[in-house]
Order: sequence, then structure tokens, then C-alpha cells
Amino acid sequence: MVTVKINGIEVTVEDNTLILDAARQAGIDIPTFCYQADLMGVGSCRMCIVEIEGQKKLQPSCVTPVLHGMAINTETQAVQEARAGVLEFFLANHALDCPVCDKAGECELQDMVYRHGPHKGRHAEPKFKFHEKDYILSPVIVKNSNRCVNCMKCVRVCREVVGANVLGALGRGDHQEATSFARGPLDCDHCGNCIEVCPVGCFMRLPYRYKARPWDLKGADSVCSYCATGCRIVLEERDGVAVRSRAQLGVGINNETLCARGRFGFDYMTSPERITTPLIRKSGGLVPASWEEAFGFIKDAAASIPPDSIGAQPRGLRNEETYTFQKLMREALGSPNIDSSARWAHGAVEAFISAMAMDRGGVSVLDCVKTDTVFVIGAYVSEENPVTDYLIRRYSASRNMNVIVASPRAMKLDSSANLVVRHMPASEGALLEAVLAAMSGQEPDPKALGQAGISADEAKKIAAKLKGSESVGIMAGTDFLRYPSGIGALAKISAALEGLGKKVLRLPLLDRCNQRGAWEMGVHPALGPGYSRRETAGAGTDSMLDAARAGSLKMLYLAGTDLLAMNGDRGIAGEALAKLKLLVVQDMFLTETAKLAHVVLPGAALGEKDGTVTNQEGRVQAVKRLTRPPGKAMADLDIMTMLGSAIATGFPSKIKSASVFDEIRRETGIYETVDLAFNNKKNKGNGHDNKEALVRAAAARLEAKPDFKAAAPAGPDSYPFALVTGNHFFHSGTVSLRSETLAGLAREPVVEIGEEDAGKLGLSGGERVRVRGKNHEATMLLRVRKGTKKGVAFIPENFEGAHANMFFKRGEGIQRVLIERS
Amino acid sequence: MIITSYAIGATRSYIYIRGEFDFGAKRLEEAIKEAHAKGYLGKNILGSGFEHEMYVHRGYGAYICGEETALLESIEGYRAQPRKKPPFPALAGLYGKPTVINNVETLSCIPAIIEKGAEWFKKLGPEKSPGPKIYCVSGHVKKPGLYELPMGTTARELIYGHCGGMLHETRPLKAFIPGGVSAPMLTPQDIDTPLDFDSLAAKGSMLGSGAVIVMDNSTCMVKMAYIINRFFSHESCGKCTPCRDGTPWLTKVLRRLEHGEGRPGDVELLESLCTNIFGRTFCPLGDGAVMALRGALKHFRQEFQYHVDHKMCPVS
Amino acid sequence: MSKGPSRIAEFIKKALFLDFVKGLSITLKYNVSRSITLKYPDEEKWVPDRRFRGQHTLNKDENGRELCVACELCVKVCPTKCITVIPMEDDTGRGIADRVAKVWKVELARCMFCGYCEDACPTRAVRLGRDYELACLDLSCTTREKDELLKPQSIPDTIQGGFVVRSSFERTPEGIRVVPDLRMQKKRNI
Repeated sequence: MVTVKINGIEVTVEDNTLILDAARQAGIDIPTFCYQADLMGVGSCRMCIVEIEGQKKLQPSCVTPVLHGMAINTETQAVQEARAGVLEFFLANHALDCPVCDKAGECELQDMVYRHGPHKGRHAEPKFKFHEKDYILSPVIVKNSNRCVNCMKCVRVCREVVGANVLGALGRGDHQEATSFARGPLDCDHCGNCIEVCPVGCFMRLPYRYKARPWDLKGADSVCSYCATGCRIVLEERDGVAVRSRAQLGVGINNETLCARGRFGFDYMTSPERITTPLIRKSGGLVPASWEEAFGFIKDAAASIPPDSIGAQPRGLRNEETYTFQKLMREALGSPNIDSSARWAHGAVEAFISAMAMDRGGVSVLDCVKTDTVFVIGAYVSEENPVTDYLIRRYSASRNMNVIVASPRAMKLDSSANLVVRHMPASEGALLEAVLAAMSGQEPDPKALGQAGISADEAKKIAAKLKGSESVGIMAGTDFLRYPSGIGALAKISAALEGLGKKVLRLPLLDRCNQRGAWEMGVHPALGPGYSRRETAGAGTDSMLDAARAGSLKMLYLAGTDLLAMNGDRGIAGEALAKLKLLVVQDMFLTETAKLAHVVLPGAALGEKDGTVTNQEGRVQAVKRLTRPPGKAMADLDIMTMLGSAIATGFPSKIKSASVFDEIRRETGIYETVDLAFNNKKNKGNGHDNKEALVRAAAARLEAKPDFKAAAPAGPDSYPFALVTGNHFFHSGTVSLRSETLAGLAREPVVEIGEEDAGKLGLSGGERVRVRGKNHEATMLLRVRKGTKKGVAFIPENFEGAHANMFFKRGEGIQRVLIERS
Repeated sequence: MIITSYAIGATRSYIYIRGEFDFGAKRLEEAIKEAHAKGYLGKNILGSGFEHEMYVHRGYGAYICGEETALLESIEGYRAQPRKKPPFPALAGLYGKPTVINNVETLSCIPAIIEKGAEWFKKLGPEKSPGPKIYCVSGHVKKPGLYELPMGTTARELIYGHCGGMLHETRPLKAFIPGGVSAPMLTPQDIDTPLDFDSLAAKGSMLGSGAVIVMDNSTCMVKMAYIINRFFSHESCGKCTPCRDGTPWLTKVLRRLEHGEGRPGDVELLESLCTNIFGRTFCPLGDGAVMALRGALKHFRQEFQYHVDHKMCPVS
Repeated sequence: MSKGPSRIAEFIKKALFLDFVKGLSITLKYNVSRSITLKYPDEEKWVPDRRFRGQHTLNKDENGRELCVACELCVKVCPTKCITVIPMEDDTGRGIADRVAKVWKVELARCMFCGYCEDACPTRAVRLGRDYELACLDLSCTTREKDELLKPQSIPDTIQGGFVVRSSFERTPEGIRVVPDLRMQKKRNI
């Protein structure tokens, strides 16, 4: 610990603290330009220079660590003049086109000149002009280099945090410009983090261009509705239309970073395709109706249906809604058949929850990345949870730690990992068994190695790294739910590491917003709220669909889920839905499933509700309403309660969401200690790792028997590729395709294979190819990725018309496909 | 270089040469090949067990690569911009390894010292900075060129002695820059200054690279300052604000003065900008630009003021 | 004992109605002097000075390009928040930059004609002009939008103003209009 005096105030700080941070601790703010809390310091803008007693030159406080006994002055005449001088130099080459610049009103240069700068400009010379018109760097980024202040935060964030490395500096001296190579179009993550960190109007959002000024906007704190990382965002609207989504420094685990989905994907809220009135099927087509008519229709149709043949699936809704939903189903209607996943078998979900110790309380991702080894398996983290990928990259760059990545496909995180293992799809279990064997000193089973497609050496390397660490962070993702035969090995390896005395932190990497929340609210046939076990288990999704095909399940209530597009076997799902007597679909858009419904109820987006959502860590975060649902659409909670009171006796027709959360606290037990206070904008302690928001451990451990057999691969042996699926980088589920911006980034279905395979087939990226499987064939664009394992093909699950689920069939294992030129 | 590397235990060394010196680079590469052939480089040099590899790295025309950490960045393949110091290159330099960086001129003294002895070396020049120095004289002298003389040779001896005096008899000395463009200029009063580190520092200038530029009274100091500043602003790497945005401003003002478009207050503006740049930059390039201008302003302020007031040059 | 004015003097005063004349002299003076009442709107109209703060105008530069770049400074500075501006991108050269106003609306019912918007405008696009005949029959016509504001006002900039002109009165289907004849200036010592 070091004691220094700043402006006469004494502070004691840790060794090697920067003067800037020490001053902040003392409550003194020093202006900066090129300093960004999460990036490596540069010290180039010279804005933060302060006076250190005893040193002749003013020193940059953002890169100078304190030494014991230093006396620092930040507000002397010399320092103030220096700041004004530096700002004058910034303005000397700056474009000064504030009236037409989108950043005006929230521009750091404007604010700093106002506070510290010269109030009269002396520069009366011609300025260097980089270009005449703003140019477009990507479908979401527009650039004006004349405004650049050369802080290089964009380049640094792209390199250090995002890992895309597409920005750099061109030119020298005052001709230096931070931009893409040769100012060409970017083929990058389109995350827009360069826009967020740019202090001036150099990088700007293209969808937000010339839409509003900061004083026209009203904001609401919310959480991104795409993946389960749970990034905190501020949604902003002008005149009732959402125009922008941004992250804030120091708020949420994402801390001013977002991915393309979080930053640009909110515009599905204002899509013209939103359903704005209830729809009822009359004479073959869906016609608009009023709420009374819709509920009346449901009441009449449901009257003759026995309660235990009602199934339900809520998804993408807040905790208040999922909780009320299961209460409605179980207590009011008396039906035990509810599930929250269209894709995963509920048995797999239970086993996964148990193996990942989700019932032992929430785990902070920031603790996870501070372990000695982070092991990412069964998750395509760079594309499904991008911000989690950013955290791993950032922390591994500045800490001495291992990052082990095991996946069939190459991913961006590979470059930050010190051990990358490519294995065959659906073989996570075999890989982990091999590692377990290596950990206990035995030779890994050659059969397991063969199945995983890895060498004994690789297994041993993983084992060595795990054994050599004191703490291990295991991040396991949705591939374990797709191929549940690996869950057993997952549980075993965590237990083995704990047995060796290591601290093991398990983080599930989920790909849907509030998926964990839905499970914790008890939307699962065998689990009740708080991971309690039900005495009698109901039917899960697959059983419900089978029952529907058999005719014993007559009514299905789906909320926010596109079952037809997402279920693992489209054929069965289609048949089942067609046979139902009453299919009620509550959604924002007319999805493929909704088109088959008897009644469609228009629901609301996450940004149109107040409530809470729980992310993959188990962190409960509050969302605030930004705008009202369009037309006659209502918040899903209100629809549920009205429907409940229509078809069930004694169910209230209106419930306040705040009171629901109180009930959730009581009934789940694990939410009892959750502190939502930090979500309040006014709360100064709005730090990013508020452990008070993590859920508590459940009273009783959830025991699940992870006993799953992998089905045999399907398809002719001559078909060389094993098909895997997951989310496309710019999409999540099917909602993202309704966002014009995200659809603009990727509209067409693609199939991805490795470079080696593409070379052998004589194909190159961008070509149109035919993918032929046992159950389906389709034409789509080819994408080639360097490093993806030989014999692996990936088709994202999001695109209508080429859903990956058309290739799969329940009961069949990995599908083998053939790819040829179309 | 091999001797120095042996002394510090370095297994790799690099000669960084300006990209434009095509001929020089080729010669160096050939020399390295010859050294390899003779067993002076490679594994087990002359049977000593010492291994050493040497490389010639060609630059791409950036003056900033004269700054040692920018030079390291350039060798590593990055943009040539200086690095934060500390850590100093002696601790973490090229590729993060401890590195010693010296000018070729400095290292070329080493074989002589080893052959002729330290005493011989110490006898050349003043006590505090002994040894030979290559003075590169250019400008208005009869015999410009490179002169290897003992350190501490006076300017008078150099200019009037070795270089044969001023180019034109009718144009006396007006000013001379003793050590590269970033050294403040000196006037004929200082002609008897010994050209070594301490004496020049005492006069408010510096020895720098030992490049002596001699100017007679046909030289317009404003034009000189403009050309020097234009050079610095062109070579500025762009990392830090004062140098990147300040030196072009100085150049633009000087350009106006030179072209007769001076405005009242320009000289005060130049001085104010110099104050804002000096000591606030990331590396000494900005300081160099300012020192040169300040030197000119110190001795010839009235000439600058004349340009402002009369919109023409008093000299040409 | 003073006698006061003589009886004859008094009689003469009464005979000639001098009291009346004295009393009415001021009234009679005004009776025959030039009237200061403006016969507005039938015959005369006051043309204000250039500095008069009347209804807003949006202006174009000498090449006919709209000056307004929809920077929204007028919106921010307006004390009554009566201006609404929505920007838009336009590459056709309609404006001086590629940013123009899609909507530029001022609610005259709220406007207090302080002129801050004119002060704040960086391109001198919005200026308060000399139209002061703003009365209308319902609230909807108190809002002025961009197209209307771009049209030149009835008093061009070349006229200095500060005098009265002859005018006439027109009944049109939209309402009543006062048409000034800017050539004719009437002398008024007002």
C-alpha cells in the first residue's frame, strides 16, 4: 500500500495504482481522452498531465504509477494552462462541424473545451481535410475522419477487447487516421464498440444517423433480449420510437461493450411486421379480432378440453411472466405439462442444471475469468455470447492464466487461447472422459479418443493445465443440451477437480435471454420454482408433441416461442401442431408457428415491460419500460392473466408485476436475497459486479441422473460432413431477423465448413452450394472458416426456409451431409 | 557490434539503416556475409562458444525511427511510434528482451579503443567528453563535408580552418546550428565555443548529431525556421497531441510569414504555441521542433517581426 | 376692493364665446391636424424595422440552398420549447450540407418571439421576420411548418421599414388579407 497526497488530500492505495485512479479514489476527476478503463494505457493525448512535486515536466497521470510519498497537484495554474493548450491543439485540426455531427450534445471534446479549454480560438489557418463526405465503413458504421482526435481507442478496443483487429492507423503526423485498411468496407463483427468508445463524432451509428439529438431522447435501463450474457443497455427513444441502444461505462458486466445484436438489434421493437391486434382463425384464415373476441374464442374452445391435456411453453419473457405462467398452468388449470425449451429435452436440462451446479447459486463471470484456467467447452462462445468472449480475451491478456478452448469449429477466441482442441461434434463426453483418464494418470481410452477425434497428447495437455491450476472456471454451453451424453462426464470432471482441492467455478453459457430465469421459475415439467422437485412430472416438449400427434393433448399454449422453427424434429412438430384442437400462440410476430395457430395474441417486447430477467450467471437484472406495445398488443403478463381468468376459475385478471416479484422471492427461496437496488440509475454504486444480484443456492440439491445414450449418426457414410447447428453471429432465435439492421448484416442462410475441406471440394466462400442430408436438402451460400475441424459443417438455426431443424430428426444422432456445388 | 554484443551477452543484433540508403544497406549485408564466411558471426565465433547473428533492417523513411523505442517498434513490424518509458529498453526492449541501443558512430569507436587503448581515447577532446567526433558541415562554407576531429574542436577552427571559411567573402557568418536541426542556433559571438556536449549545453544549445549548418547573411531566418518546422511537422509520428497538432500549426504560421501574409500578433502566437508544446510531448521530437524555433526567435526576433510588420523579408 | 376684469371685457368674452374657444382650442387644434390613427387595415399598414421580431423565416443561401442543417440548437435554446426539428439525410444538394430538416415546426401560440433561436442558429437559417399578422381562427393554424417558413415574407429585406404604407384589404377564400403597397409611404410622425 502506498500513501500519496493529491491536491493536499491524502490517499492510501495499492501498489502500482495509476495516479489517475488514485485521484479518482480521492474524489478528484482528471480529464482524459485516450484513457479507457479496460484498455491498456497509452498516454498519448496529454490531457491528463498533472504536476508532480519535484519533477520539472508535467507527467501523464494515466500511465504513471504512484510512488510512496508523491505529492501531486491537479489544479495548479500550470496544469490548467496545459489542458487548455492541449485542447487548443485538438481543435486546431478538428473539423468543427458540430451542427451536422451526430455526437454534438454528448461529445467529449465539446464538454472538455467548455470546462477546461480556451474560450477563444486562435487557429486561423487552413485545416487538413481527409475527405469531403462521410464514408460508410460497414452497414452499421459511418465515419468522418476529419473529426478524429487520434485517441486510438477504437483501434485498441477492436484489438484488445473484441479481438477482431480490423482497425488501424493510416498515415503519419496530422495525416494520421484511425480507420479500416485503405478505408475499405469492414468485414468484422459489426459490434459497434468503436462507435461507443469514440469520444467525438468520428465513428457514428449508421442506423441512428441524423435521427435525433441527445436532448430529444428519453432512455430506459434495460437488458439485451438476445443471448443470456445479460448485457445492460440503455434503450433510448424519440417520440415513442426506439432509436438507439447503448452501453454505459461501469455498468453491467459488459461495461460499455456490446455486440452487434445488443447494439443494433433492438429495432425489431418498431418493425412494421409486429402483430398489433389479436387474430382468430375463421374459415381457414387469420382475421383481426378484439381482445374480448379472442378470449371468448379461447374460452369456448377450451371448455371441452380436460386440464391435463394442455401444454405450454413460455420463452423470452421476464421472470414475472414465466412465474405467473407456471402458476396459471399448474394451479389454476391443473395441467402439469409445461416446458420452456423448444429444442432441449427436459431430462437433459435437469442433468445440465445439476452438472453445472446452477442450483448452488449464481456464479459471476468476472470471478470465472479471474481463475487460473478457463475451460470453454460445448459452447461457441465467440458467436453466441460475444461479450463473454470479450471478457475472456481481456482478462487473459493482462493475467497469467490458461484459456483452453475445445470445439469442433474455429472461433475468434482461439487467438487468445493457449490450448485449442478441435473435436468431433457430439463428442464432448468422450473428450472429457479422456481428460479424466489423463488426470488420474491413466492412458486415455483409444475408443474415446477416436470418437472425439483428438490425440492422447491433447487430452494430456488439457489434464496437465487443469491439474496445475488452483482455480478452474468451466464454461459449458448449449452443445451439452444438444448432445446430452456428455453431461455425465461434465459432472464427473468438475467433481474430480473439486476432489483435487481446486476451486471450480461453473458458468453455463446459454443462448436465450432469461433461459435460466425460466428454469428457476419452474417452467419445467419436473421442476418447480427454485429448482424444487415436483412429485409428479408433467410432459416435456417432446412428450407433448407426441401426445398431440396421438390426439391425447388437445390444447397447446405457446408464448414467445417459435416451436416449429426451433424444435429438433420439424416433421413431428408440424404434425403435432396440425392435430391440435386449440393452438394459442402469443408472440410479437407472425412466426411460422403462429401461422398455424387458431388464436394469435399480440405480445410485447422486453423493452416494453418493467420487470426482471436472469442471465446465465444467475444475475437478476431489472428492465424498465421504454415504450408502449404497438396497437392493441399488451404486456405478456396481462395477456396471461386475462386468459387465465377467462378459462380458469379464481385466477385474477390483473396482477402487478412488482407484487409478482415479491412472491417469486418467497416461493423460490433462491431469489430471496437478490438485491435489485443496483439496477437503479440513481444508485452511484452501480458497479459492474454486484454479487448481491446473484441468486442464492437452493435449499436442496437437485439430483439428476445424467444417463443419456447418444443415438447413432444418420445419413450415408459417403456423406463426409457432420452437421452442427447453433446461432448465426448476428442472430438469435428468429426474432433477430425482424430487426432490419441485423437482417441487413446477414439475411441469407449459410453453411460453414473448414478451409481444408473447401479446398478439397474445390469450393470457395460465397458460392452457392447444395447441402444434402438424409432428411432434407437445401441450397445456400458457402462460408469458409480457417481452423474448423475437418468433416464438420455448420448451418445456423435462425433462417426461415433453411432451418437446420429440417435436417434433424428425433432419435437420430449426428446428421451426415454432403456439400456440392449447386 | 560483435564486440558490444559479446560484452553484454547478446545473441542477436540489428543494424537499423535508413530505407533510402540502398547502397549502404547492400554493403552492410555483404559485410555480414563476409563476416559469416570468416567465422566472425554465427555459432561458436572464433571457437569462443559465443553465438551471434546480425541482421540489417531497413527503415521506410521516418525520422521518428531515430527515437530508440520507435526504432524498436519499427523492427518488430509495428507503426513507428515511441513507447512508454519506463520500462527502458535496457530492461525490456526489442521483443521485450533487454536491449542496448547505440549510434553507429558511438560503436565505431570501440575497435579503436580496444586497439589503441583507453588512454589514447581519453586524450582526444575535453575531459568530460573525450574521443573523436564526425562533424558533418553543410551550408555556406567552401568545403562542406564530413570531418572527423577530436571532440571539443571550436566552431571557428571547424568553419574557418577545416572548411575553408565562408563560401562568399562578401557574406559574413550570420548564424550556425551546431548539432542537427533541433539544436538552437548560435551567433558569431559563440564562434569560439568548443563543439562538445557540455560547452554547447552551457550556451543553451546542444551537440546532438554533430551536424553543423552554417548560414551567412543572405539567409532569411524566417525561411530557415519555416523549413525546419515543416520538416518536423512532416516527420511527427502523430501519437501525441502537442506535436501532432501543434507543429503543423507552427509551420502554417511560419509559412504565412515567409509568404508575406503575416498578421499582427503572429510572433507572440509562435511563442505561445512553443510554450504549449515544449515539455508536454510523448517524445523529444516536439521538443526538438520547439527548441529550433526558440533559438531562431531568441537571436533574430526582429527579423520575424519585420516579416509581420512589413510583409516582406529584410534579407532577400 | 379690486374690481377684476371689467364688465365690458367679461361681456365681450361671453359674446365671442372666448371661454368655449379657449376650452375647445386644444380639441379644435386636433380637429384640423393630421390624425395619428392608422386606418388599418383598410388604407394603411405599419411596416416594421428590420430588427422587428415577428414570425420566423427559414432562409436559403445565395445559391438557393437551404441553410438549416437541423442541428436542433434552436430547439434546445428555446425557452418555451415550441420548436420541433427532425433531421434527415439529403444528398441532392437541397441544403448546404447533407443534413437537412425533415420537419421544422414552430408553435406560434407558445412562441414568445424572444429571438433566441435566431441567436443560436449557426448558419443564420432561422431569422425572425416582419410578419406580425398572425391571428387565426383555431389552434391548428398557429403551427408553422418548414415549407411555409421557407417562402419569402410579404416584406422583403430590401425595404428598410419603420414607416407606414398604403394598403388595401382583400377578402380571399382563406380569409382576410392585408396587401401593402410598399412603394407608397405615408408620412407619419409617430
